[in-house]
Amino acid sequence: MFPNKTLLEARQLVVNYKNHRAIDGLDLSVPAGCVYALLGGNGAGKTSTINTFLGFNRPTGGNVFIDGESPDQNPTVVRAKLAYLPENVALYEYMSGLENLSFFCTLANIRISRQHAHDLLMNTGLQTDAHDRRVSTYSKGMRQKVGLAIASAKQAKVMLLDEPTSGLDPSAANDFARRIRAAADLGMAVLMATHDLFNAKQVADRIGIMKAGRLVEEFDAHTVAHDELEHKYLAHARGLL
Amino acid sequence: MLRDGRLLVLAFSVFAVLIGFFLASVAEHQQMQLEKQTVGATAKEQWDTQGVKNPHAAAHFGIYVFKPDSPLASVEPGLRQYTGQTLWLEPHKRNGARFSPAADQGLAGRFGQASAGFVLYALLPLLVIALAFNAVTQERELGTLRMLHSLGVSATRLLLGKFIGLLLAFMVVLLPAMAVAIIILYQNFDLAGDDILRLSALSGTFFMYYAVFAALAMSTSIHFKSSRLALFTLVAFWTSSVLIAPRLGAAAAEMMVPIPSATAFWAGIKKDIQQGLDNDGDHQAREALFKNQMLKQYGVAQVEDLPVGYAALKRSFNDSYSERVHALHFDRLSDAFERQSRFIHIASLLGPSIAMRSVSMTLSGMDLAHQRHFEDAAEKYRHYFIGLTDDWDRERSHGTERGALGHDSDWGGVKAFSYTPPSVSFALHHAPADLLVLLAWLVAALIWLLFSAKRLKP
Repeated sequence: MFPNKTLLEARQLVVNYKNHRAIDGLDLSVPAGCVYALLGGNGAGKTSTINTFLGFNRPTGGNVFIDGESPDQNPTVVRAKLAYLPENVALYEYMSGLENLSFFCTLANIRISRQHAHDLLMNTGLQTDAHDRRVSTYSKGMRQKVGLAIASAKQAKVMLLDEPTSGLDPSAANDFARRIRAAADLGMAVLMATHDLFNAKQVADRIGIMKAGRLVEEFDAHTVAHDELEHKYLAHARGLL
Repeated sequence: MLRDGRLLVLAFSVFAVLIGFFLASVAEHQQMQLEKQTVGATAKEQWDTQGVKNPHAAAHFGIYVFKPDSPLASVEPGLRQYTGQTLWLEPHKRNGARFSPAADQGLAGRFGQASAGFVLYALLPLLVIALAFNAVTQERELGTLRMLHSLGVSATRLLLGKFIGLLLAFMVVLLPAMAVAIIILYQNFDLAGDDILRLSALSGTFFMYYAVFAALAMSTSIHFKSSRLALFTLVAFWTSSVLIAPRLGAAAAEMMVPIPSATAFWAGIKKDIQQGLDNDGDHQAREALFKNQMLKQYGVAQVEDLPVGYAALKRSFNDSYSERVHALHFDRLSDAFERQSRFIHIASLLGPSIAMRSVSMTLSGMDLAHQRHFEDAAEKYRHYFIGLTDDWDRERSHGTERGALGHDSDWGGVKAFSYTPPSVSFALHHAPADLLVLLAWLVAALIWLLFSAKRLKP
């Protein structure tokens, strides 16, 4: 269905923060329709990887590409192709979910009608009565749904998720995973940084474990057993591997 | 800003403070105008009905003239407290209204009056800062800046949008107060076309001034990670621009260009009249020479035989010399004030407030240049009426006899002082340095904003 076109790619990526090496020779590729989960402890380099794809970090060495474009060289074009959902989706508290969606779309030069905005929010599962309520009353899961609606409105080719299920209740996390899977099935390439093994196994096609800025192990999420994944993850985290 | 209530609270505060100060200024302005009219009418009536007396004695009664304030003085009273608005014109001596007790407070005191002008140039920049200090830092703190960046919104476009939005929000805050102020002006004063031009120019320059603060606040917000640090930095800049720079500039100007005290100034004039300028000789020598010239001119051997009054002739001669000395000293003093003003501008490096205050005073007609224009006109009028009384005295007496008399018909025939304030072009001609400083600040602030946009990181 998606002829393996690589939409997200890192080649021998190195990122230094002053004297600290955050990413150390990372090679990674995520094709269209694939969800790639990056596992790893704190400081492993997951968020730095996402920030580099976003163009927030400049590579010290190597390259990153989104749909063949370098975010460092052409950030505006690259960012137009991607959607980003951080752990806490930051929205304007004094606006409603609908207004936030319209506002972000306007800034991104996307014209949507009010009805289309309602439809986008409904498609993410956000209840209709919440659309016109101020975001300050929203739960974390509801904010993520607004974030997903923004991503849908952008018709992004790539989605970058940073700890998306952290703090969500199991039901909300499951619902979120379903929607991410659905987005990938429509041809989106998704890179997800997470601590959540269960979520990673549930939604991802491929799973990578990062440690000290390196991708130390990769799995096919459909074939790896949960116990094996957990064992490897803990062993890397404890320095046993 | 509207939704979090900040704009409404600020709009209400600005409205209350600005209109409060403005109403107080209008009341003071009207009270002063009324006093000027009352005192002027009384003084004119007293002048006209002096009865039969010697014309020179009548001249010594003196005439009061008053500087008509522009309606804009209600917005910016400028140097009114320090220069005075009344001149007493008398023979032999040019009086200066600027030597009021307040003038001895020095230059620094001229920057601290509470007026509508003070609100506009000192307090409203704080409002701009209050609206803009967290324009970017708050987005960074809340995480929305990362969201905006991830959308591919260009930083320059984002910041220019915020900058324009901020200025519009500020205008929303300011417009109700400005509209009410203009209505009050229309209701209380006869606004001439020139006043409207001056008001428009004043509004334009204030807009430039606020745009400087807005651009600086936005740029500062980009460079600092926390809103609190950005606020501290901007308040420090405001303090430097509004409070420190004028005083520092004034102190430097007073040091570089000393102004004589009132006592020393008058003593200098008296000395030059007594001892003479250059090689003119002292007072006695000049009088002796003049006496010989008059005897020769009229072909008589002694002053008693002159066909005209010698006392009046001699007085006119001495007054003429005195006027020359006065003009010299007054010009030097005015030049020194102007040089001081130029030195004060050095402190504009610390902020644009000095230039704005200066433009505000100039466009309101309440600066030194307008005061000098008025005093020069008053001095011309003094020459006119003293010359007239001297003519009557000279022509109605002879020799050393001093029996010349004048009547109410003479006094009533002296034309009243009529002063036409200069036009807005005069004001603009006297404000190029201030306007350039403001423009330079605006250009620098906008360049910094664009430069900062390129460095904006989430």
